Formats: sequence, C-alpha cells, structure tokens
Amino acid sequence: MIVKKKIIKILFIFLFQFLISGSYAVEPDEILIDKNQEDIARNISQNIRCMVCQNQSIDESNAPLAKDLRILIRDKIKEGKTDKEIYKFLTDRYGDFILLKPPLKLNTYILWFLPFVFLIIGIFIVFLHNKKSKKI
Amino acid sequence: MIKKQILKLPFIIFIIILSIFFYLLLIDRNPSKIPSALINNYIPDFEANSLFKSEKFYSSDKFGNEITLVNFFATWCKPCRDEHVYLQRFQNEKGLNIVGINYKDNPEKTKQWLQRLGNPYSNIAIDNKGKIAIDWGVYGIPETFVVSSKGIIKFRHVGPINKKIYNEINSLIKKLE
Repeated sequence: MIVKKKIIKILFIFLFQFLISGSYAVEPDEILIDKNQEDIARNISQNIRCMVCQNQSIDESNAPLAKDLRILIRDKIKEGKTDKEIYKFLTDRYGDFILLKPPLKLNTYILWFLPFVFLIIGIFIVFLHNKKSKKI
Repeated sequence: MIKKQILKLPFIIFIIILSIFFYLLLIDRNPSKIPSALINNYIPDFEANSLFKSEKFYSSDKFGNEITLVNFFATWCKPCRDEHVYLQRFQNEKGLNIVGINYKDNPEKTKQWLQRLGNPYSNIAIDNKGKIAIDWGVYGIPETFVVSSKGIIKFRHVGPINKKIYNEINSLIKKLE
C-alpha cells in the first residue's frame, strides 16, 4: 500500500515537471494569425538565447528584451525574410552567443569533437587494461 | 612499462581539466559579460528623434569626425544614475563628445533628470521602442561604446562605468588619438 502511494507520488512529480517544462512566454498579442508563420517564429525563438537570463530561450523568457526579439522575429517573417536571414540578423548584432547551440566553426571544433576524442582514448585504455588482466 | 604509463593518462587529463576549472573560477571573470559582435565594425546606422533638438538625429552626421562615446541610458535605470558622474567627468575634464541614447523612457522625465544631474551629452537620440539598442547588440543598460573618429566601434562596456572602466576608457582614447 505504502509502495503504491510512493509510486503515485513519483508519477505526480514527473507529470508536474512535464507541465512546467512545457511552458512558454509568448503572449497572446504577439501570436501571428498565419499558423505556419507562427510555427516558424516559435521554432526560431526556441533556438535564440535570452541575453538577459542566458540559460533560457527567448521563447521561454519573460524578459522585456526577449519579448522585443520575439516581436522582431515575427515582423521579419511577415516581411518574408528566410530563417537564415533572421539568424544572420541576430548573430551580426549579438554574436554566436545568441544561438543556444554553438555553430560548427573552426574555433568551436574542440568543443564539438573533444568528447569523441575522450571516448576513443577511453576505449583504448579499457582495451589495454583488459588485455593486460587476461595475461595474468 | 609504456602500457603502465598510458594507464595514468586519464588521471593526468582529469587533473588538467580540474585545474582549468579552478583557474576559471579564481580569475576575475564575469561570465555574464559577453564580447560585442560589433567590435572593429562600423556603427549601425540609425535615425531617431532628438530629445533637445528639433531636427532629427542621423547617425551618419554625428559620427566619423571625432572620438565619440555612445551611452545607452534611462531614468528608470538606477546604475545609469551611478555612472552619471563619470560621464560628466568625461565631458568636463576630457572634453569628450558623448552621444546619449535614451532607452524606452519618458522624454519629459529625462529632461528633468538631466536638469537635476547635469547634461553631459552633446546630443540625445530617443529610442522609445528599443530598436536602436537591438541594432547595437545591447542587452542590458547602461551600456557604453567607444567609437573612433572613423566611426568604428572600438570598445563596449555592459553595466555602469566605475573607476576602473573610466581609466580603461581614458587610456583607450589616448591610444586612439
């Protein structure tokens, strides 16, 4: 009985967290009438860092600057700008830091490939170690 | 023997990574300060209404003649008031040209504010929607830029100007002259 209660409690916590993580900050007056355009805007906003709070996307942030950028992105979409042009507009002004995912560039190669280098080194060491212990 | 040495490798790598983390923790570093993407680029062009003057503010007229400080400020921003004394020192002691950009503010309040505290700005552009700020990559006022006599951005500081930044800007200006 107690176990069952515990399980329900844990399930409840999980469900609750799911609800929280699904929240976003877009206000009703910002939403575009054209559903396709709104989807594009939401998609871009989810990849753009809120420069004020830094670990949130502008889609999730209530900061005034995040709101300004959400509206700006929607205005650009209405003007017929492509995703690429909008990303370029933002990185030209705020740098790559405004992208939540760092782009693959010459100076970010280490960031992207170091984990794989470590993985290979790790496999190599485990392999060597096993070989040695087999001998004994 | 070599194999035994290789087994030490993960441990050595771990120590190196750990020391890098400690180094980054201990040095005087503010992770919320982000380098500007506009350094060594021409200033973004803009036009706006001027706070005190009847004619419009065109950035193309106002830059490119002398070294200019660009300061984003608002009366509702407490740190802006704190740095005001340094802006006045720049203007009084160094005769520096300072352009103010009044960010999302009430023009009447700004006029009163400047009357009370003194006005170090040669001209003030009104940015009521925050559009100019976005073009300059501003994410938290006050922000201050040093623009060279050719209209190129040389320096950006996020946050209020303090003694350290005041000296830093002064030595940069000396270098630019």
